[in-house]
Amino acid sequence: MNSALFVDGLCKEYPGFLLDRVSFSVPKGSITGFIGRNGAGKSTTLKASLNLVHADSGSISYFGLPLKEHENEIKQRIGFAGGAVSYYKKKKLSEIARITGRFYENWDSDAFGKYMRLFSIDPEKTPDKLSEGMRVKFSLALALSHRAELLILDEPTSGLDPVSREELLETFLMLREKGISVLFSTHITSDLDRCADRIVYIQKGRIIAESGIGEFTDSYRTVSSADGFSANAEYILGRCKTRDGETGLIKTENACAFEGSEIRIPTLEDIMVHLEKEDI
Amino acid sequence: MKNLLYKEFCLSTSPISYIFIVFSLMVLIPGYPILMGAFFICMGIFQSYQLIRDQNDILYSALLPVRKRDVVTAKYISDAIIQAVGFLIMCALTVLRMTVLSGSPAYTGNVMMPADPVFLAFVLIIFAEFNVIFLGGFFKTAYYFGKPFILFIIASMITVGVGEALHHMPRFPAGSLPFQLSVLAFGVVIYTVSFLLSLKSSQNRFEKIDL
Repeated sequence: MNSALFVDGLCKEYPGFLLDRVSFSVPKGSITGFIGRNGAGKSTTLKASLNLVHADSGSISYFGLPLKEHENEIKQRIGFAGGAVSYYKKKKLSEIARITGRFYENWDSDAFGKYMRLFSIDPEKTPDKLSEGMRVKFSLALALSHRAELLILDEPTSGLDPVSREELLETFLMLREKGISVLFSTHITSDLDRCADRIVYIQKGRIIAESGIGEFTDSYRTVSSADGFSANAEYILGRCKTRDGETGLIKTENACAFEGSEIRIPTLEDIMVHLEKEDI
Repeated sequence: MKNLLYKEFCLSTSPISYIFIVFSLMVLIPGYPILMGAFFICMGIFQSYQLIRDQNDILYSALLPVRKRDVVTAKYISDAIIQAVGFLIMCALTVLRMTVLSGSPAYTGNVMMPADPVFLAFVLIIFAEFNVIFLGGFFKTAYYFGKPFILFIIASMITVGVGEALHHMPRFPAGSLPFQLSVLAFGVVIYTVSFLLSLKSSQNRFEKIDL
């Protein structure tokens, strides 16, 4: 089994929202971006993957082990951080780490010190004295100090300034070099362009794409038109108004139907914006 | 469980929960409804739950490599330890009032509930109410605690009132020591049974909560 995480047919129904047969995997040693607009179901999926939210049906396994039967063993091997979540705001980071470490068989105090220095975090500070970026990094330091093999991060980059975001993404790349898998949710597509190997795209509770990032962007094209797409409207997956007319998103195999139009390879953001706008 | 309890006392429990144990000294106040000491100890524990919610303690605990039901058990046990410390101090002071201080002028004309084993039984009943109403109510959501605490306040105030009223009933306060000790034993049974039932119910509820 080469998946660090395998989610199969996850369903969860809330009033007005359905997580519908969500399936995806996170290969070992990869950085996987979990993308979707606000309210698409990213956090619910991640929480269900951690058994914080109880799925109505479906199965979750880590490293080939079913979560239901091996929850504690799996939690020894994974780490989770939510970007906006802060624990024990008034306690010293060193105190939080000391107590957290008691729960993990592979806790390495020296590694914790090393990561705190690497991330330039003073362990004598309290979480309320840290910026959001620093709090995420502290969560990473905790996870890495118990030698987590998979990090699950819920919107770790939202709320960060560009420099902090860049530092965090560099950290992900460094972790991948060490063989650590990362799954992080985001709605900031440039984060994925920067470091992700793969994307899992969720829209209104359903996975609509799961592939390598290059493969995904290459499967779409944008076409521009000054007077709309009345002739080949059936190929248009989504459209956006521009100053000079309209752009449309099409599947690459349909590009031949738009000869004479300006056809471009879209960015991830282009694809997301077109798909989501069409869906409104 | 040892690690969880350690975490409870170092990270989760508010210092106010420890400080409010001092209210067990209210047993020594003459002419005062001394059962209020038990209420204040519970109020101290309540402060920890405000902290627990503010500091995302439940989410932190649920992510640890421990069974969810053990998270609940650790909270119940740590609260019971605080109650036990308060209760033991009250026991010691009750013995003091019944022996060395029994002839003290401050207590001879006391019209309020005296410090005796019946009083201690009522203390345990107030603690039991806290465990059932407040803790049981909190673990329905592991987030909301306003309604459970208000319900506990109402129940405990009624208990204080009943305790004081019984003291004024013609035969009750004149009960012999064996009778009073049997009432205390009844209080111990009530506390223990309700603790276990509330714990079991909260464990089951917490397993099903979406955090």
